[in-house]
Amino acid sequence: MALYCQLMRLYLLAYAAIFSLTILSFYGLINFGDEGLDTALLQDSYFYAILGFTLKQALLSALLSVGIAIPIARSLYFLPTLRFKKMFLTFCLLCFVTPTLIVITGLVALLGRSGFLTPSLNSVLNNFTDSTWNLYGFSGILIAHVFMNMPLAVRIIYLQLQTIPDNSWKLASQLKLSRRQCFSIVEWAVLKNSSILLFCFIFVLCFNSFAVVLALGGGPQSTTLEVAIYQALKYDFNIPEALTLAWTQLIVAGGLYWLITRGGGVSWQSIESSQYNWRPNLNVNTRFWFTSLYGFSWLILLLPYLSLLPGLFDSELSSKDLKAIGRSALISIGLAATSASLAMALAFALLRPIRQAALKAHSKRVWLYESLATHSLVAPAMVLSVGLFVYLLPRIDLDRWGIIFVVLLNTALVIPFAVQKLKPRLLQFDQQYDRLACSLKLTQHARWKIEWPFIKEIYLATMGLVLVLAMGDVAIFSIFGTTDWTTLPWLIYGYASSYRITEASAASFLLLMLCAFFLFFLEKLSAHKVARKRLIDHSQPYKGETHA
Amino acid sequence: MNKLFSLLAACGLATSAHAADLTVYTYDSFVSEWGPGPQLEAAFEESCQCDVKFIAVDDGVSILNRLRIEKDKTKADVLLGLDDSLTEVTRRESLVQPHGITLDGLKPELQWQDQDFIPYDYGFFSFVYNTNKVKQPVTSLKALIDSGASIIYQDPRTSTPGQGLMLWVKSVYGDDSANAWKQLASHTVTVTKGWWEAYSMFLEGDADYVLSYNTSPAYHAVTEEKQQYRAAAFSEGHVAQIEVAAISKYAKNPKLAKQFLSFLISPQAQSIIPTTNWMLPVIDNIELPEAFDELIQPKRIGFTPKQIAKQRKSWIREWRSTAN
Repeated sequence: MALYCQLMRLYLLAYAAIFSLTILSFYGLINFGDEGLDTALLQDSYFYAILGFTLKQALLSALLSVGIAIPIARSLYFLPTLRFKKMFLTFCLLCFVTPTLIVITGLVALLGRSGFLTPSLNSVLNNFTDSTWNLYGFSGILIAHVFMNMPLAVRIIYLQLQTIPDNSWKLASQLKLSRRQCFSIVEWAVLKNSSILLFCFIFVLCFNSFAVVLALGGGPQSTTLEVAIYQALKYDFNIPEALTLAWTQLIVAGGLYWLITRGGGVSWQSIESSQYNWRPNLNVNTRFWFTSLYGFSWLILLLPYLSLLPGLFDSELSSKDLKAIGRSALISIGLAATSASLAMALAFALLRPIRQAALKAHSKRVWLYESLATHSLVAPAMVLSVGLFVYLLPRIDLDRWGIIFVVLLNTALVIPFAVQKLKPRLLQFDQQYDRLACSLKLTQHARWKIEWPFIKEIYLATMGLVLVLAMGDVAIFSIFGTTDWTTLPWLIYGYASSYRITEASAASFLLLMLCAFFLFFLEKLSAHKVARKRLIDHSQPYKGETHA
Repeated sequence: MNKLFSLLAACGLATSAHAADLTVYTYDSFVSEWGPGPQLEAAFEESCQCDVKFIAVDDGVSILNRLRIEKDKTKADVLLGLDDSLTEVTRRESLVQPHGITLDGLKPELQWQDQDFIPYDYGFFSFVYNTNKVKQPVTSLKALIDSGASIIYQDPRTSTPGQGLMLWVKSVYGDDSANAWKQLASHTVTVTKGWWEAYSMFLEGDADYVLSYNTSPAYHAVTEEKQQYRAAAFSEGHVAQIEVAAISKYAKNPKLAKQFLSFLISPQAQSIIPTTNWMLPVIDNIELPEAFDELIQPKRIGFTPKQIAKQRKSWIREWRSTAN
């Protein structure tokens, strides 16, 4: 019992830790400003224009991402023998976590005024209208958001489709359901929840979008709340205005997210891909369409990366530059690995009460804890970092200790991703083994020895994801970072802001390679485990048969 | 977790120096390896026999914001990297003290009289173009705005060149600025957050003109030996950006701070700054690469720091409601 209490305290500590960060930030700003909110802003048409724009672009981006992802995921699902499918799925994840500054450079090289694709796009457009192709503006924002989020949706929807039991398909073929009926009855049943959740998730990410909107927006008509907060805080030092905008963002984004996920009914179900292998037969036509769609997706996702290559061959790096790039790459890896490890440990602790509530089927409590654990997803990142800075600067020597807060804030910002990805697997474990473990009166240690192999695969993959997410950070580093600890993304900004565009593109390429390496490496590590596990799984039925 | 902290702490202690004799707040690119910081530090430390430490933040505005938060707890002796549009605000919040340095040596065209701030370099906001692409450049701001040429510029809310263009339009067009912004928006490719996003898009060939400095061509000529980039000279005159330094009100060593400021406008420092920060020197008779002789030398127009501090908000409001 004593041990249990002690552990319980640890979980509370995790909640306290992530909350104190948020509370301190808001406290820092509120206390410093000492002027309350700027309610006059609520009567300004500018405020409603940016709120409207933020909502519009986030809704459309989320809708398009999920809408396009569904057919691609279906082609992956219905054609189990597609080549390079595993690589495609990892590549999808890479698109999601690629630092925005690389995505933007790639898209400009591809679709900008002098982009590789622009002449052909223009000749196509000329057949219909007089206008020429223009990346900048609403279209650019949508393209970038869809490019980054749609692949994630493909991945999740594909994994979700794999949970369709063989029996459903057999039943569907016995009942002679049409293709459309199959989709609405068999597939949509497993997709509905995760599509809604994905939609919300992408909506929140795009709602808080910052760099993409500023780079590709094309003018003041494309201002999101996050951009307005940045401007108010940084250039006008207008804390009441920043706080008013921040609360709006928190209430609107958080409110929508929490409303839709309320009740705990919606969740990303766990993945047991090895179980079901039965697929309905496709006619030649459909097969052709699905294969083409798959090939086309590869092309679309690869193109922005490929268009970065020509710029790379121009660069001649001095040994000094190579040293600087190498050094900051190592720092980036170290910091990101620390953030990722912390985030994984905290996510594990944060999930404890969620698991307990799920076991007792308290769906409201699950939702409450989960909302608390993932609250930093909807909190404006700018306010968190600036607020904490304002609070800490007079109290701590940030020139010496700032780097710790770079790590801590990055940890806080990636925790929601870790929680979301770990949750289904842990809940699945509890469902299958908790009673057994309790009845066997296993010690914590013994229990852990069963639990760890069960979650290891997802754990490593999630770790890769949050590591790469943390590695791409510039926003937090720009506030807390010091020159002694220059990270790779920060070095890229440094190069670029001193006319050294070629060095910047070389460093960007290395950053991209590092992201890819960590994703593929950790995915590979876990894939190895799956292969072994499958062998064991397959051998079990035979044993059963002989016994029978 | 504790282990981690002590590890980080050990690293932090190892890399941060002890309290220096002179602490200078500046912006990142100033102290980067290729910026003026390292050379200036070495030169000054040799002459003063003291230890100088640069603390770099994001950019000029961040220096001011940091001082606002720290107030009397600041470590700064010298602030380096604010510009003339921020001097008035900084003075009003009483974050600086008079420098007491005679300003006779400065270029007369700067007309610098400020008792709190010392200029250390300057440049004129200009539209840069590629001569391989634009054969007949425009010769005035009005001609540019009336033309159909594609343009990239920076957001005046988040970038100093962007704010420079706002002042430029305001001083050329006055009350008619709203129409000018509308006209400009019809052939604007995009408005970026900062200088480099705009400039790299321009180098990729995404626009005919990009808002930058009259000194930008010198960089291409000196470092890359590329001659095709030029700044367009406008007949109405150009708005200047003057980068300044000052002594913090709470400086622990104001005497040394004053010495550093005097050093900044000495021939030694002034010959380091132009080819590392890519701006113009503030004193005459500095030997510079030839490329600097070929730069345009525009007439200076614009507003006083007081006017800017007073009007900035309403001008930004005008821009954001019309530049769509």
